Amino acid sequence: MTKVESQESEAMRPPREEIEAYVMKVLQELARDWEYSGEVGETTGLFRDLGFESLDAVVLGTAIQEHYDRPMPFAELLADVGQREVRELTVGELVRFVEAQLAAEAQEA
Amino acid sequence: MGVKVLLVGLDGATFSVLDPMVARGVMPFLGRLLAGGVRANLRTIVPPLTPPAWTSLSTGRTPGHHGVFDFFRMDSPESRHIRFSSSHDVAVPTVWDTASAAGLRVTALNFPLMFPAPKVAGHVVPGWVPWRQLRLACHPADLFDRLKALPGFEPRELAMDIKLEERATEGCSNAEEYAPWIELHIRREANWFSVFRHLVETEPSELTAVLFDGVDKLQHLCWRFIDCDPGTAWASEWERRAHELCLEYFRHLDGILERMCALVGPEASVVIASDHGFGPTRQVFHVNAWLERRGYLAWSKEQLEKQDPAGALLGVGQVARHTFLMDWTRTRAFATTPTSNGVFIVRGDGNGGPGVPESEYRAFRDRLASELLAERDPATGEPLVSRIYTREEAFSGPFMSMAPDLTLSLADGGLVSILPSEHLVSPRPAVAGSHRPLGVFAAAGPGVRRGADLGEISILDVAPLLLYGLGLPVPEDLEGRVPEDAFEPGSLARRPIEVAKASAPAGPPRADEAAPPAFGEAEEEAVLKRLQELGYVE
Repeated sequence: MTKVESQESEAMRPPREEIEAYVMKVLQELARDWEYSGEVGETTGLFRDLGFESLDAVVLGTAIQEHYDRPMPFAELLADVGQREVRELTVGELVRFVEAQLAAEAQEA
Repeated sequence: MGVKVLLVGLDGATFSVLDPMVARGVMPFLGRLLAGGVRANLRTIVPPLTPPAWTSLSTGRTPGHHGVFDFFRMDSPESRHIRFSSSHDVAVPTVWDTASAAGLRVTALNFPLMFPAPKVAGHVVPGWVPWRQLRLACHPADLFDRLKALPGFEPRELAMDIKLEERATEGCSNAEEYAPWIELHIRREANWFSVFRHLVETEPSELTAVLFDGVDKLQHLCWRFIDCDPGTAWASEWERRAHELCLEYFRHLDGILERMCALVGPEASVVIASDHGFGPTRQVFHVNAWLERRGYLAWSKEQLEKQDPAGALLGVGQVARHTFLMDWTRTRAFATTPTSNGVFIVRGDGNGGPGVPESEYRAFRDRLASELLAERDPATGEPLVSRIYTREEAFSGPFMSMAPDLTLSLADGGLVSILPSEHLVSPRPAVAGSHRPLGVFAAAGPGVRRGADLGEISILDVAPLLLYGLGLPVPEDLEGRVPEDAFEPGSLARRPIEVAKASAPAGPPRADEAAPPAFGEAEEEAVLKRLQELGYVE
């Protein structure tokens, strides 16, 4: 890849703010459906605070993949979460995961 | 343009139940619809199981071609990693895709293997999605908000609710839970009808399809309350109540059918179909226990000791995901899911490693099949297995390597257990329902004969029929055919069946190429609870 192509690829990558805004919007919409009255922010836990079941996390991951039109290893992320002493995934972690996946793909492109 | 073709899916419906319902006056509209149209027994594919069967109905292809064999799927033929099937696994175009590509609108509600939803022109609400995420599954993106605004719309009862599924599961052993559980399914079908009515009234699609899956669920758990004589003397009040509520479910479903047909009007073609039939089952064949006794399968003692006896369901989920309970150094054949009655043979490398070398595969498989066919029920002396399909017989096609090596039809008509067991056969606590090969087909509308019985047609014939009804050509690679005798003489002459060149694959995951896991390994809690509810897992 030429330097110009690399710069173009980087430029096409959505900035973190955009990813965060998208994830937050999705979660806030879902939370309304569940009549969740708390705030949804970077430190919100999907399992502890939003009451996710593992299937909910998988479906959310699939929706994010569809939105960005590329596969992401959500199964590995969730397997990793399952190994933790406290089984939790915060909104911030999820955003960073998506950002890292998009960055990795942009670099490979 | 209004609805041109209406497909009503009745999951698991069988004429052995529907005909008596009509005769008893429980389903008068269905009786009129059958009298005014055609009917047939609809032979499904092997195995008679919801995900591959509905996929065959919507694609006109057998599982070896569309790539869906079960609720579950291995990542590759060599993999021991199992995940749930998704729309990404459907490797050929569906009627939804074909109609949409031809410029027609499509509404598909509650069909399995439709998540993530295909981006058709129209509306999709996939089945088998948890209600908390239903917003994300709906297509287009604003559909959920529109549905949410409907009076009485209740996503928790429309889609899967883990807590309700749990209650239903636990309710199986609790007489008091039957009535609320049956009532839930009456409300669930009403919910789907509300969605249907809203979309037909506001944005009708030329191809509109809705699947009612309560038929299957009630027949699994309540077979004895459904398949019974009108004068049955029930031993208890709760049994009588369960029977009455089952009749009420079918009465309610009949009313929904009538209202649906009224909404789409007489110019629409109406097709009713099920993915498989139903019949009773009284026992469970512990096939992995049988394989163990014969020396074909070995359990890992270390892993078995780690099992929490109280966590039997989770254990099944783990078997389904990883089959980690088996000692793979000593296992040559195994059943990996409790849903498809499939037995897989472990292929060896031919260098002395575990598994069956390629050179011995056919002989090994033949021996396994003949031993299974010879096995007798210890209690009755009758054969346990009535027929065995090899993968070449049942799953010929580009995805054959992903299919079970052998698929069993049990004499009892039921399912295998994949759990370790001291017994080869266990009686069920009560008669339950299980799938059978003959489902139902009925059609009515312009050009369709009145009151004709077509005998038997194939589930593969439904997709060509739907395409013909939409005025579209039928791709030449579909394995079914338009059932021409469903139409009045002269009707086909006025509008002949057109044949199109084979459609291009829908960007398929090839047999040797894993699709991105839309449903991942973390999914088993909810879906396995539902499978347990349906009697697939203990």
